[in-house]
Amino acid sequence: MNRHFWIPLACAALCIAVIVPWVALAASGEGGFDGVVDTIESRYHAHAMRIPLMGLASVVAGVATRGGVDGVHVAEFEHFSAPVDGDELNRMVEDKLGHGWERMIRETSRHGGEQTLIFSHPEGKRMGLFILDLNGNEMDVVQVSVDPDCLNETVLKYKHHDRDDEHTSD
Amino acid sequence: MKHRIAAIILGTAALVAPVLAQPSPSPFPLPSPVEKELATRAANVTEVTLGKGMLDFAAKFMDKNDKDQAAVKQLIEGLDGIYVRDYEFDKEGQYSMDQLEQLRQAFGTPEWSPMVHEHESKSGESTDVMMKMVNGGPHGIFVLDAEPKELTIVLILGPIRMDQLSELKGLSGLGALGDIGKDKPGKDKASKDKPGEKANKGGDQ
Repeated sequence: MNRHFWIPLACAALCIAVIVPWVALAASGEGGFDGVVDTIESRYHAHAMRIPLMGLASVVAGVATRGGVDGVHVAEFEHFSAPVDGDELNRMVEDKLGHGWERMIRETSRHGGEQTLIFSHPEGKRMGLFILDLNGNEMDVVQVSVDPDCLNETVLKYKHHDRDDEHTSD
Repeated sequence: MKHRIAAIILGTAALVAPVLAQPSPSPFPLPSPVEKELATRAANVTEVTLGKGMLDFAAKFMDKNDKDQAAVKQLIEGLDGIYVRDYEFDKEGQYSMDQLEQLRQAFGTPEWSPMVHEHESKSGESTDVMMKMVNGGPHGIFVLDAEPKELTIVLILGPIRMDQLSELKGLSGLGALGDIGKDKPGKDKASKDKPGEKANKGGDQ
């Protein structure tokens, strides 16, 4: 009797825990970087230019920076002429990025067609950064995952190289 | 009976989990309706929200061998958050004294003490600086700088070393902090507000 009661209820609870968030996500369309770009495309009737072989470039960036920069996504909208409401754009990006992303910087201009949004997402040791910048008729959308320790090591290495070069030229 | 209780707990957990998974509210204590109203009226809005995680992340990029960067690194590593709101308006009168008062009242708790209140009726500019004191040490600073066509709010939470505060002026929207470090807490507690000068600035709606 107990087992008959327990098993169906546990299954029901599990279904609620798994299926409800999945249905909610499916209903709101694809999330993340691609979700944001797709939504901007359909909302503003604009076409995003995606950089060919970006996946390969991302891997190269990861190797070159010893894991400092990873998961690079870039989309560029050229000839972006649609009027943008800063609040609407912000809400749209927030909705699509989803849980865990926090807005760090928002710069919005009512007249100049300038909008900047920067979101961050802690990923353990790493930090995910999402940047959207609209400047005049060009909108750039970038997402990267950064490991500050690795990246700093690489940056310092080149800084020291520069200093050494300066000393040599003197 | 034991199983029934376990099943109820499991069911409740499944229902409550998505609610608990919602992001925690921002520690930025300004009244949200005022913020929204100001943002709606402003021609240009800049919002900077740097929580502890982001500040720790930013600190990692600072070179501890560079004297200036080391000072900033030391300062921001201990902070809980930096929040900046800057609203630029096309014309004067886009915000009211009442809205300014609501912003000040958000820090009307006993732990916040006013350090500076300056109001110039001629230019219509006013500056408020409030300090959060914990165990006799500064643990937060709030700056409200109001000009006829611009309103800047800076809030820094966490233990602050006043002598290092001016190092942050290079950060977006924190230029107003350049001179604050020169004022030691407790030293400049006198209100600079002159009687009869509380005229409406920015123009009441």
